[in-house]
Amino acid sequence: MILGFDIISLSLILLCAVLALFIRDLMGSVIVFGAYSFLMCVVWACNGAIDVAFTEATVGAGVGTVFLVSTIYSTTRIDTFKKNRLLKQLFMFAVVCVVGVLLLKTVTDLPQWGDAGSPANTHLSAYYIENSIDQTHVPNVVTSVLADYRGFDTMFETCVVFVAFIGIFSLLRIRKSKTKNAATTSPTTELTLPPHQEVDSLIIKTASHLMVPFMQLFALYVVAHGHYSPGGGFQGGVILGASLILLAVSYNFKKALSILSEKKIILLVSLGVLIYAGIGVICFFLGGNFLDYSVLHKILPATDTIMARSHAMLGVEIGVALTVMVSMYGIYLSLSSNGRFDKGL
Amino acid sequence: MIEQAPALIVVIPLISALFITIIGLYQPRVSWLLTIITFALSSIFAFICLKQVVTVGPISYVFGNWPAPFGIEYAIDHLNALIVLMICVVAFLVAIYSKHDIIKELGDKIPHFYSLFTLLVTGLLGITLTGDAFNLYVLLEISALTSYALLALSGGRAYIATFNYLIMGTIGACFYLLGVGYLLINTGSLNMADISVILSSNTYSYTVLVAFLFIMIGMWTKMALFPLHSWLPNAYTYAPTSTSCLLAPLMTKVSVYVMLRMMTSVFNYDYIFNVLQWQHIIVALAVIAILAGSVLALRQDNLKRMLTYLIVAEIGYMVGGAWLGNANGFTGASYHIIADGFMTLCLFLAIGCIIYKVGDASLSSMKGIFTKMPITMVGFLIGAFSMIGIPPTCGFFSKWYLISGAYEASAWAFLVALLISSLVNAVLFFRIIEVGYFQALPSEEPNHHHPKITRDEAPLTMLIPLLTTAGLLIGIGLYTADIVTYLIHPFIKNFL
Repeated sequence: MILGFDIISLSLILLCAVLALFIRDLMGSVIVFGAYSFLMCVVWACNGAIDVAFTEATVGAGVGTVFLVSTIYSTTRIDTFKKNRLLKQLFMFAVVCVVGVLLLKTVTDLPQWGDAGSPANTHLSAYYIENSIDQTHVPNVVTSVLADYRGFDTMFETCVVFVAFIGIFSLLRIRKSKTKNAATTSPTTELTLPPHQEVDSLIIKTASHLMVPFMQLFALYVVAHGHYSPGGGFQGGVILGASLILLAVSYNFKKALSILSEKKIILLVSLGVLIYAGIGVICFFLGGNFLDYSVLHKILPATDTIMARSHAMLGVEIGVALTVMVSMYGIYLSLSSNGRFDKGL
Repeated sequence: MIEQAPALIVVIPLISALFITIIGLYQPRVSWLLTIITFALSSIFAFICLKQVVTVGPISYVFGNWPAPFGIEYAIDHLNALIVLMICVVAFLVAIYSKHDIIKELGDKIPHFYSLFTLLVTGLLGITLTGDAFNLYVLLEISALTSYALLALSGGRAYIATFNYLIMGTIGACFYLLGVGYLLINTGSLNMADISVILSSNTYSYTVLVAFLFIMIGMWTKMALFPLHSWLPNAYTYAPTSTSCLLAPLMTKVSVYVMLRMMTSVFNYDYIFNVLQWQHIIVALAVIAILAGSVLALRQDNLKRMLTYLIVAEIGYMVGGAWLGNANGFTGASYHIIADGFMTLCLFLAIGCIIYKVGDASLSSMKGIFTKMPITMVGFLIGAFSMIGIPPTCGFFSKWYLISGAYEASAWAFLVALLISSLVNAVLFFRIIEVGYFQALPSEEPNHHHPKITRDEAPLTMLIPLLTTAGLLIGIGLYTADIVTYLIHPFIKNFL
């Protein structure tokens, strides 16, 4: 049953990947990519990696698609890709084949799927599964590995989101005064936005109004319940960001900026990472190593060293959620307004 | 606080990058000062660590107080202690240097520049310090993302050049990640020391071989080894001056460090050289890289572009040295990371000063540059001498070790390539001296009145880092014996 399911979903994924390459209309490609992400999410879920599936669904199929659509909105949807020369094509094909053969040859060497005796299942994973509850009071091992055992990685993953936002923002941002100069001196170098029509649809506004509170409530649940069920700061943050993007799409750009202004976005994105790193620094001052949450029991009321870890994990998840939420929103605003922050999708 | 030094080296820049972003909203000019303070502090802690490594021995720092294979570990030993200090010092010097240049080139994006700058260095420091293969990947991502943003900031042609780099860099990172994935399947661990222990206890399977190959390919892409170098020249040429001053000395060198680390601390050095026996192919690749880099550099008219091709050639030095498979070759390669870092920095700083004052860096606009900017040219010449390999500078010593390593391994092609490369460097730099020193003489153009060239130097914030770097080139050269006996040889003893 599961094998048949795997074969179907994997062949569909392959189909989507090839289709996305061949469709000349970029909007079509993006939609196919969204389908690709959903199918990937199914595959992860079948493999028992629910947290990964969750992330894929929210990031890959959700906001990822929105970003691509808003990029197409402010650039072009016609693919003007020039075909490479035959020799170059053959060369690239050969490279891909060599890598493919190398990868396929390893398949026979790999342990069976779900083999309990394979090194990956006996060494570190076994330790985490056996000790997570005793050492951190967190039943969802993924969360305890992510936020505590390997919390230092996660802090930098949050940083990656921060960098993505700051990078996109600083590359695209065009100041108003500068825009005027550019418009008068060299209008050809500027990408021109398509003529903008104010969409003022009561149906869309009402529908999104109905959806947003539930999305946000669910997102908060995902963040707070990450200790016990799949989810956590990343996924919850993305859903929160998506709810803001939904509002921005259904209203106009002015409304979008009134939710969070440009300054506030930058402030909050930094604040999220700062919460994470700040918890680490507090551990310094309480005499522990960086991110050694157990020493936090000295300042948290009614906790022992183990419960302190659990609480601190919630703290860092909130930091992650804040950064992810606001950067998703900020990236969307930058892309859809082409960096002008005046009008957009 | 001293035992927390390894973490502080990375945490201070990370936190300060966030503060730079926040404070930059209100006080954009303060970000320059904050960046300098940050890297001054980081340098101090890096120096403390270096001192401790030399006197006491390798340091291990565990995050979250989880013992090594379960949590993430920072492992500072003789190989990376000095590289960490180099990264901090380079970042400190470039931070000082960037003040005027950034105001001129980027204007209102100052806080974003410094925030990305600080995070980039955080990433590089983390890559160098970490003892965890996956943590290395995460920081690789940070340094890559920030470098894309920094390179593209100048706009125009930089966009497409950076886009090419983005594609290549992502492919490289993917290969590295695949390799680490295979290692995880085989060993169940991500900690480098732990992987090494598990791998050495059983025979190397085909998957481990593929893991090693993928990690190497990933790093060769990141460091721009010859056939994979095409992204580098354009990306570095069109970038803002301060960005290329920061990236050119650090990015590729850190990738070389990762290659050395993987060869020695994760995989078995004996296995690589006695069972795999790829060394002839890789050294041949290095020879091609050196020759191709030198020849392509000769063809360039723009000095900044010429230097980017020299980086491609220098990568050949280090890869070749590491794959010679003997102590001298390895000494040369790891010493050259430091030496090349500083000499690339020195030349890029000097070219940056010229671009700041003259406007471009083509060879024809170098006329009379010695009269116009004598102090800058002193720095430039010391960097150039080091590139060529003239004795008191550190470039000579790394070349010396590499050549003796090549002689021991009977890698004659590599030896000849090193000598040819030195000759080409000599030709390149003397061509600049010729144009800059002799072509400006009024007797050359007697027909019309040549406007008298007046001294017009770059500001002090640019000159001081340049001269400091030039001084460091000679200083490192003079302390070569100490670096080799106290840092490189103790490390080599572990596996040779």
